[in-house]
Amino acid sequence: MLYKRFSIQILLLATFLLVGVQSFAQPNVGEGKQLFKDNCAQCHARNMKSDLTGPALGGMEERWADYPREDLYTWVRNSQKMIADGHPYALELWAKWKPTVMNQFPNLTDDQIESIILYVNDEYNKVDEVVVNGGTAGGATGSEPTNWSFYYVIVGVLALLALILGRLIILLNHQADQKEGTSLGEPKSVLSQVFSPSVIAFIIFILVLLFGHTVVNNAIDLGRQKGYQPQQPIKFSHATHAGEQQIDCQYCHDGARRSKHSVIPATNTCMNCHAAIKVGSTYGTEELTKIYASAGWNPNTGQYFASNVSEDDKNKAYKKWFKDEYVKANADATEKRINSAVDKQLANIQEFMGRPIEWTKIHNLPDHVYFNHAQHVSVGKVECQTCHGPVETMEVLEQHAPLSMGWCVNCHRETEVKFADNPYYNEDFYKAYHTEIKNGSRTAVTVEEIGGLECQKCHY
Amino acid sequence: MKNQNNDVWVGILDKTNDPQLEEMASKEFYELPVVDALSDEKFVEQSSTNRRDFLKYLGFGLGAATLAASCEIPVKKAIPYVVKPDEIVPGVATYYASSFVKGGDYCSVLVKTREGRPIKIEGNPTSKVTKGGTSARAQAVVLDLYNTERFKSPIVMGEEKGTATTWDDLDKTIASKINPASTIRIVTNTILSPTTKKAIADFTAKYPNTQVVTYDPISSAAILLANEASFGDKVIPDYHFDKAQFVMSFGADFLGTWISPVEYSTDWVKTRKIKDVHHAKMSRLVVAESGMSLTGSNADNRILIKPSEQGQAILYLCGKLGGGTSGKVNDKAAAALDAIAKELQAAQGKALVVSNSNDKNVQIVVNKINELLGSYGNTITFGNASLQRQGVDSEVQTLIGEMNSGSIDAVFVMGGANPAYDLPNSDKFKEAFAKVTTKVSFAGVIDETTAMCNYVAPNNHLLESWGDAQPKRGEYSLIQPTINLLYDTRESEMSLLKWAGSGVKSYYDYLKQNWEATLFPSQSNYATFQAFWDNALHDGAISVPVSEGELAFGADVATAAGSIKSASSAEVEIDFCESVNIGNGQYADNPWLQEMPDPVMRTVWGNYLAINIAFDGDNNYATFKGMNQDSKGHTDIAKFATAKGDATLPVVPVFGQMPNTVQAGLGYGREAITSTGQNTGVNLYPMLSINSDGLTQYWAEVSSVEKAGVEDEFACVQYHHTMGVTGTLEGSEEVINVDERILGHKGYQGSLTNRTILRTSHVGEVEDFVHDLQHEREHHQYLNSKTLYPDYSGLYGMGHHWGMHIDLNACTGCAACTVACMAENNVPVVGKREVHRHHEMTWLRIDRYFYGDVNNPNVVYQPLMCQHCDNAPCENVCPVAATNHSSEGLNQMTYNRCIGTRYCANNCPFKVRRFNWLDYTTADLWPANQFSINGEELPFGADNLTRMVLNPDVTVRSRGVIEKCSFCVQRIQEGKLLAKREGRKLKDNDVKTACQTACPTGAIVFGDANNKSGELHKALESPLNYILLEEINVRSSVTYSAKVHNRNTELDA
Repeated sequence: MLYKRFSIQILLLATFLLVGVQSFAQPNVGEGKQLFKDNCAQCHARNMKSDLTGPALGGMEERWADYPREDLYTWVRNSQKMIADGHPYALELWAKWKPTVMNQFPNLTDDQIESIILYVNDEYNKVDEVVVNGGTAGGATGSEPTNWSFYYVIVGVLALLALILGRLIILLNHQADQKEGTSLGEPKSVLSQVFSPSVIAFIIFILVLLFGHTVVNNAIDLGRQKGYQPQQPIKFSHATHAGEQQIDCQYCHDGARRSKHSVIPATNTCMNCHAAIKVGSTYGTEELTKIYASAGWNPNTGQYFASNVSEDDKNKAYKKWFKDEYVKANADATEKRINSAVDKQLANIQEFMGRPIEWTKIHNLPDHVYFNHAQHVSVGKVECQTCHGPVETMEVLEQHAPLSMGWCVNCHRETEVKFADNPYYNEDFYKAYHTEIKNGSRTAVTVEEIGGLECQKCHY
Repeated sequence: MKNQNNDVWVGILDKTNDPQLEEMASKEFYELPVVDALSDEKFVEQSSTNRRDFLKYLGFGLGAATLAASCEIPVKKAIPYVVKPDEIVPGVATYYASSFVKGGDYCSVLVKTREGRPIKIEGNPTSKVTKGGTSARAQAVVLDLYNTERFKSPIVMGEEKGTATTWDDLDKTIASKINPASTIRIVTNTILSPTTKKAIADFTAKYPNTQVVTYDPISSAAILLANEASFGDKVIPDYHFDKAQFVMSFGADFLGTWISPVEYSTDWVKTRKIKDVHHAKMSRLVVAESGMSLTGSNADNRILIKPSEQGQAILYLCGKLGGGTSGKVNDKAAAALDAIAKELQAAQGKALVVSNSNDKNVQIVVNKINELLGSYGNTITFGNASLQRQGVDSEVQTLIGEMNSGSIDAVFVMGGANPAYDLPNSDKFKEAFAKVTTKVSFAGVIDETTAMCNYVAPNNHLLESWGDAQPKRGEYSLIQPTINLLYDTRESEMSLLKWAGSGVKSYYDYLKQNWEATLFPSQSNYATFQAFWDNALHDGAISVPVSEGELAFGADVATAAGSIKSASSAEVEIDFCESVNIGNGQYADNPWLQEMPDPVMRTVWGNYLAINIAFDGDNNYATFKGMNQDSKGHTDIAKFATAKGDATLPVVPVFGQMPNTVQAGLGYGREAITSTGQNTGVNLYPMLSINSDGLTQYWAEVSSVEKAGVEDEFACVQYHHTMGVTGTLEGSEEVINVDERILGHKGYQGSLTNRTILRTSHVGEVEDFVHDLQHEREHHQYLNSKTLYPDYSGLYGMGHHWGMHIDLNACTGCAACTVACMAENNVPVVGKREVHRHHEMTWLRIDRYFYGDVNNPNVVYQPLMCQHCDNAPCENVCPVAATNHSSEGLNQMTYNRCIGTRYCANNCPFKVRRFNWLDYTTADLWPANQFSINGEELPFGADNLTRMVLNPDVTVRSRGVIEKCSFCVQRIQEGKLLAKREGRKLKDNDVKTACQTACPTGAIVFGDANNKSGELHKALESPLNYILLEEINVRSSVTYSAKVHNRNTELDA
């Protein structure tokens, strides 16, 4: 317990230090992220490692290290001018990437460019860490791994200490008794000391305590689904979409910013992209066609079926689609193999024909809990990963957090409100906090301090 | 402190300090003795569970619970749209402007939908008719949509429930039954829709022998006919209650049921609010009636006249005003009318006289009075004349004759008409109706007339339909669907058009074309029809200019006066009234409205006989014929006889009921009705009579009244959750608070006999009153400053501090707020037996108190909900901290933490906490535990369809937990989130409680007391304000402003 509290304090301290460092630097990662999103992300990959329309930005500082920093700024603002002026590294880049022309950003200030560079480096290094840690990081908030051996050693030492002290007391008592002449023979042996009634009673007491603790803890966990990872009707991969393709979470989950529900996207949201991307990278036509079946879309023609097309005709169209694609991928396949593969795929999409996709809900809250995504995403600016974990690495989505009340409450205790940025928390209503912030006696306001732990914030 | 009116009372029991009441009030939960129930052999025999069953269930329950706990968690599915509609974001409400129309009842509304299902009705402030106000009836309409017993397809009636058919088959059948030569009658209540009328006209063009027979069960035909005679315009005029300084109503319940109560309430209250206490002014309202109506209870003075005396009273008044007529009324009323004549004359041009009489001659004299007072052109105009009552009763009487003669080939019943139930001679109608070969009903649910029809062509529910309404000339509004059709139903207009062989594809097109042809040219704001239409649809209501014609009064008053009958000489008379909730019976199948207590009688789930209470001046009260109610939930049953039959009804003694008159509500005792409306009350329509003009008369002579038993399940909330009861100290005559006697009467802080519950003043004495009130409050605050509690004002001063202000002067007691609260907060319906056991679940109740003259008292209505005390007594006693205080001043109730000790409810001085004694929400896993409210087969609320009306943002409470008003915390959180997302300060409009938006008179103001520029802050500055039980230092967040009346004591003499 003590250790736990201590470690939490250390964690907190570290967080404060980090926050402190961040808020002192002029160009900062947060601004850089926004700027990158607004200006660069169309052409440069977000992982900073792979080339896209433009080159990967990771490591650019080293590549430009031979030249003055101003050159880098100039390049960002107007690369074509630099090429025309004959800058050696500019020419080198042009040789490699022409005829792709980089957009001009004459309005970016030096600080802003520095912010972008900070963000680029940040992302670049983060990705490296992921590789180093074997792919477990990425905004994870998990607790420290418990150091059990440390506990065992302490318990052992304490037990030994207790034994020695006990022994000492027995011996001293014995001597005292002897002096007073009330002693009855030898002092108690070590064995009888260990198996004395009081020690046994104590051990039983400890065991009962441990048993109770285990039972209560397990009972509390009843109905909780941390790690829940059901099979979904479509083998949708968040790793591909959010990780590899870097699609913003809120592109599909468009309710998160404005509703209590994050919203599981409608089939027509999938069709925005998959009208063009018809064959999946992992499962080919097998999974993607389920979407087409749901949406009533004919992948052969790229058109939606007219409302009067019969089920049979739709099946024929899908059959043709499976067959064509299968043949394309397996040129040497026999007729029998083709047919069996096509039939299997056709059977798989039947339950989707013209119907909404029935996903298995992973994050379930009890009915008496009110949770609002917009509050956390739009107002609190909480990253999706804080609660949902590194979704961008999950091939099959699983529940990352316990979604228990203790977990919620803990976050509300620690999380700081965007107090200064949002005029909602204005001075008319929160005078005391604003005064404290001004005179330096307070650095931040946590959710708890504006009533975030009160029952009717979540239960009504 | 002369204005401190000690004489405020609820009923006889507290007036006489009945020890039973003291005992009852000392318990938060008045429980009928269990022994009584168990010793009741009938009850024990009925119960199906014996000891062995109990043990079986116990064992099974334990086993099942163990099994369930070890089972895997059920897999839940999340099913998104295939193509998501743009306007729907799951989790965010969408509002559509529409109109509530049922017969002549009208209200312009906004329909709140969530994920495509309507869940709540709000008022539409754009409307110039209802101005954002709503009524209880409008609030309850969402529940009708999810009635599981609606017709699910066209039906060919036959045995049992008939057989379902298809629209194609039905169309073919109807086509084979009628031909252009057929004589067809369309029976309907008032139709407000111009497009429906056009569809009928198109139908008539194909079938020229078609006639529309319009009647209203509670008729205003006499006004129509009188205006035709007086001005040549057969219409209900536009009454301007906001311009009247003196309103005299002869029985017209214009705040509750008469023609357009929402509109009249919003207008009338404008003249009743006190803006400046130093120069306080307010209009006067005098009501002449026998039984206490909602309007009568809001009146400054009531003149007691028998129902049969009304014509004579009007003649008498007309004569006094120089109209050359004379009438004979009882001496007391005559004296009062003398004084009123003077007051009316003084208010020349600002006076308004209305009457609910359904005698054309009486209404002509009323018109003459208004003419004499210069009301026409001032308080009564015809430019925006009301179209909300168009029926003339005599037409339906003619139809009965036609049907009997066999000349009618087909009758179509539409517009909610139910003549087989609500005609005075419904037996004759049924007899004649049975002779017609082709009878088609357009009703959406079963009713008495539909049960007799051959075919049912079910109309869509209002919330599934396109349509329009013209409540007044120049005022139009649209009805738009807010949900896809739940069943295979069709607009009745479409049925008519189909049968007329019209090629119209959809009623929407037809409606749009009609608006393009008729309304679009009459306005000049929009250049294109599309823009006009889009705007009208968005706003819900539009106005087009009307011309104010010249009117000349041209009726023959002398002849009319000569034909008015003299008062009946019968010893006892009964007045039949329309009830605020059930109306003329068309709302009887709505459980929310059935559970809404009658504003005056405080009764639910049935009609009751209001009887007189006589006071002998010596603290003795004699009820009519000695019939009375007791505090144990029993009341006497009266059997009374009229010329047209007899009936038995439980009695309710009501102060202010005229001696030797009784009153009872119409609209109950429906036979063919969906199951939740079964067995509620007695049908009194057959007791009505028809006068020589063929108009229905809503009173009767009573030949005998006698006690005929005892009602054991008397569902009257009058004495439920009573607070501030006084009693006499034993051994002395000293009057003390009942709760003090329990404590031993040792002079506790605030031990004032006169608890601060109601404060009333006469308008002329407001200045003195305010002085006294402030003095009293200062005294309370001084005592409170000696508290031992820590001071949290610093904490509450930061962020928001939610508060409410209720203007008792603006509250008319219409109870729209109570139904709105039920709809918003998923408050369960419990039914008659449970209400009888004090188990009603309403979070918001309206207490009705009498004050003043015992024989002719004034009334004040006090909406009471959780007061969100900052020193809440309930919070301290909860052993599990399930109720505690938020930093925003909310008294929070956490259902999942509640273990049901009910200590909090016991400790609540306002008695606003409610306990779920049974599984009212039918959330239980075991059907055996499911609770039915009215003996229905499928328990109300057990079906998923009915549960679609639930507000998804509010937890449905299970059995065994306490619940109470949350200040609509879901709306608070929603409003805060909106402001946070938009990065701005919270505004008044962001958060409005359900009761606040429902109120037609703006009596409720909710807001953040810390917002110095807000509406609430302004309201809290009124010197008329006081806080309930301020002396006990609970620091409630609800502030009331005192009731100010304008009673003229001269009239009492």
